[in-house]
Amino acid sequence: MKRNLQTFLVYLLGFLLLWEWLRPVEQLTQTDHIEMFVIFILLSFAVAFLKLKRIWQIIVKIWFILFSVHMFHYDTGFFQLGWLTSFLSDLTTNISVIFAFNWMGITNELRTLLFFTLLWLMVYLVNYWLLNRKRIFIFFFMTLIYITVLDTFTLYNASTAIVRTVVVGFAVMGMLTYYRILDKEEVSADSILTHKWMRPLVLMIAFSVIVGIMAPKFEPIWPDPVPYLKAAGNKGGEDANGKGVSKVGYGSDDTQLGGPFIGDDSTVFKTEAKQKNYWKVETKDHYTGKGWIPSTSTTVTVDGDDVIPVLSIPSTVQTREESARLFLFMDYEHLIYPAGIQRVQFERSYTLEIDSPKEKISIFGFNSKPIAPDAYTVEYKIPRYEASDLRETSVVDPGQIDPGFLAQYTQLPENLPERIKELAVSITERETNWFDKAKAIERYFSGSEFRYDQKDVAVPGENDDYVDQFLFDTKVGYCDNFSTSMSVLLRTLGIPTRWVKGYTGGEFQEFSEGDTSKSIYEITNNNAHSWVEVYFPNQGWVPFEPTKGFTNDVSISFTNPDGTPAAVETTAQPAPKPQQNQEKVSTSPTAENQSFSFNGIWLEIKIFFNNNWKMILFVSAIVVGAAGLLYRSRGRWIPNLYLLQFRLRKKDENIGKAYLILLEQLERYGLKRNENQTLRSYARYIDTFFESREMSKLTDRYEEYLYHQKLPEGSWKDSHELWENLIKKTIA
Amino acid sequence: MAREQMNPTIEKILINIEKVMIGKRNVAELSLIALLAEGHVLLEDVPGVGKTMMVRALAKSVNANFRRIQFTPDLLPSDVTGISIYNPKEMEFEFRPGPLMGNIILADEINRTSPKTQSALLEGMEEASVTIDGVTHRLHKPFFVMATQNPIEYEGTYPLPEAQLDRFLLKMKMGYPEVEEEIEVLNRAQRVPPIEDLYPVIDLEGLIALQKEIKEVYVDDTIKRYIVDIVNQTRRFAGVYLGASPRGSIALMKAAQAYAFMYGRDYVLPDDIQYLAPFVLSHRIILKSEAKFEGITAEEIVNRVIMRIPVPVQRLVK
Repeated sequence: MKRNLQTFLVYLLGFLLLWEWLRPVEQLTQTDHIEMFVIFILLSFAVAFLKLKRIWQIIVKIWFILFSVHMFHYDTGFFQLGWLTSFLSDLTTNISVIFAFNWMGITNELRTLLFFTLLWLMVYLVNYWLLNRKRIFIFFFMTLIYITVLDTFTLYNASTAIVRTVVVGFAVMGMLTYYRILDKEEVSADSILTHKWMRPLVLMIAFSVIVGIMAPKFEPIWPDPVPYLKAAGNKGGEDANGKGVSKVGYGSDDTQLGGPFIGDDSTVFKTEAKQKNYWKVETKDHYTGKGWIPSTSTTVTVDGDDVIPVLSIPSTVQTREESARLFLFMDYEHLIYPAGIQRVQFERSYTLEIDSPKEKISIFGFNSKPIAPDAYTVEYKIPRYEASDLRETSVVDPGQIDPGFLAQYTQLPENLPERIKELAVSITERETNWFDKAKAIERYFSGSEFRYDQKDVAVPGENDDYVDQFLFDTKVGYCDNFSTSMSVLLRTLGIPTRWVKGYTGGEFQEFSEGDTSKSIYEITNNNAHSWVEVYFPNQGWVPFEPTKGFTNDVSISFTNPDGTPAAVETTAQPAPKPQQNQEKVSTSPTAENQSFSFNGIWLEIKIFFNNNWKMILFVSAIVVGAAGLLYRSRGRWIPNLYLLQFRLRKKDENIGKAYLILLEQLERYGLKRNENQTLRSYARYIDTFFESREMSKLTDRYEEYLYHQKLPEGSWKDSHELWENLIKKTIA
Repeated sequence: MAREQMNPTIEKILINIEKVMIGKRNVAELSLIALLAEGHVLLEDVPGVGKTMMVRALAKSVNANFRRIQFTPDLLPSDVTGISIYNPKEMEFEFRPGPLMGNIILADEINRTSPKTQSALLEGMEEASVTIDGVTHRLHKPFFVMATQNPIEYEGTYPLPEAQLDRFLLKMKMGYPEVEEEIEVLNRAQRVPPIEDLYPVIDLEGLIALQKEIKEVYVDDTIKRYIVDIVNQTRRFAGVYLGASPRGSIALMKAAQAYAFMYGRDYVLPDDIQYLAPFVLSHRIILKSEAKFEGITAEEIVNRVIMRIPVPVQRLVK
């Protein structure tokens, strides 16, 4: 390549691209004097552009490297060559270090030298790609990967670097493509041609960059990979401190609630049981204003077969025994259990450690190592509460509730805004007992001002209270918002509550094969949930479900004051009815808000597609298949059409159209004419193929028509016969 | 093109030439094309391959008078064109015509003479006239020059300037005969030279009539477009310093007309163009020195150009 402006630009762009590799180095490693390395690659490109003799190029580069090494590591003057001998001896000692694989023992001098050598190689490579191969895509692509990986996994912020790289990369690729085409087409470049190429190139790059910068950017669909991968390493679900987008699932850190999360339908466990019920993992009792923490922690260890000392249902409550078998798909070293848990049966003997007040039950193997079991059976009690019993409690009776216990479960942060309590009072002013108050608050959240959403959920600011923000500002949230708010509202009224985490009942899968009375339910990460338990003296912890669109299957029978059952009302639907899953819940409230017609139409289209997609798919598959068949067999049926079309024609000039059709048909048949092949030589080729003279005869006619603009009168009759024979040969 | 019916007159001339020349039909054809298209031929070849024989046979076939100029370094322009000499009897200058005043002229080893003499010949070829002492003398008609150039000797030669090369309609090489042909040459050499037995096929008037007829050969617009595309592409080709000029386009068209006529057609085909383009265009292209060093020849460039330009197979849409 000549030494002109274009070559200069190519070199410059190559330098800029290589520079992008050095920029993060400065920030991420403690490399000083990065400018010297930049100058070095600049110098290397400069001597290459100036086409110095190779020996001079090497001398200049070596001199620069020595100069830099001296500048970095030695204090004496450059021309007092004593530093050079110590540098050389340093290098020789390093060689032994290298052979000992003692990588940490390499001195900085050698590192500097090696880095320079690496850069030298890189410049050589980039030069080779630019000038000899005239291809830079691989290097450009590697640069992009390098930058994006650094941006993702390190502190380096590549938001401008990516723009720079794309601009430079596209520019240099565009230019190189031009030179490559020139070479291939063996056309010598002139300035008009160059301008014709370069102007649109510049415009296109400018346009795409501007569009890229101006265009609205969607939030990432995937979570930030680093916290996500870390979380995956910690057996999933650990929330990343509530910052960013977290993934739905069970997590143990609830100190910072709020923020959006995304769905995850990976299976946590399957259960074989007679009915669905909520599954608990742990409860929390201390509200901080931002989230929940356990107030204390004491552990009790029991053998695997013992009755588990988690007492949420006292003996005064009517219960029935039930058991369910769980098959775990994730390695959780804690139990997932129904509220009335009695016993657990493992396949081996494990010990259980119950952490109270969290009521989180961890599982340990024989050598006291945490164990994640594959399956186990839980025996549990299903309570049947009497509304009349629940309604008995309306004030705190110190004889029934321990003051310490009461204080623990009515704890509230000191700076809790007063208006929360005012709201609680106004909701419950008509009610007298705890149960009706709790039901009133539970009902309050089903009001239309509250909306269930997983994405558009705020994180409370420094001075915000999580509950306050939800109740008064956003009113948009998911289970954590609803359950925490209900819990806090009740606590302001002096009613003891605790916050429960676990899973909803999941999705019905199939009827159990062995025991027909049982069904298989699948619980995924999307079923992770939180709710509220309210303490009633003599009745224990009764679950409530404030979250909009969710129901908990807790049966409470409402009886008349005289004791005869008047109406049995359960707070939940009967068990077989499949529970709404979260996804449906999240869409239904938004659908209510879509009042404008466009969305309505869109919804209708969607519904239509949803209802008829099988039909649509089937019909379009048939249409596509038929079209494909027609296209594939076009060599057979199209010529027949043409045969019909030309049969009735009489004019001699028809040969013009007919001959071109024949050319097309022959090409479809597989006898391709090269563009530079004359009709005559092509005709000879066709005739040797078909072993006839027809094509040559017809071509003579066509040549006369085309190159002579004359035709013998009445020639169409013969030509048509020749033409028809040839077409038929291609169909046969 | 074997199945094509050749023009009978021309076929007779070719048969005549073949009586004395064994093989080399294409060289005879091309020479005849140049003669019919009123152009001139540059033969680049070593001595002794039968150039003179062929030209003489050609001259005899058309009953033209044949002259031969052997170019040497000391040849003067007047030795070619003729000179005015004072005639003491008549007391005035009298024009003595030079060898250029013939119909068919063999200019042997044209690169051995000085540029001055060369240009006298080339001017004559271009203008069809020579000017001596202010008097313009028209040359005979038809006028056909076959110049030869020795490609192996470079010492003491004056290569023709590139700009003057395109005065020649065609440039070609003769080449050695095949083994069988050369044996036949030996056989014939034992007998009387057969050139004496040749009879003219047509006379000069007939030849001029043929030349006129050839101008009537129809060249369709698609063909003209094809010619121009080819010539244009030689100008833009990498490795080409200077492409063929519009004169090249004209030459290609004329040669193609003659060729079509020779094969009994009154219209030109792309096949004619493809066949003739290397002979018509290669000496009109000046290569860059890089290309020369790479060993690329002008013929190769022309062939590559032809490979690239699509043949017209449809009528032009107007």
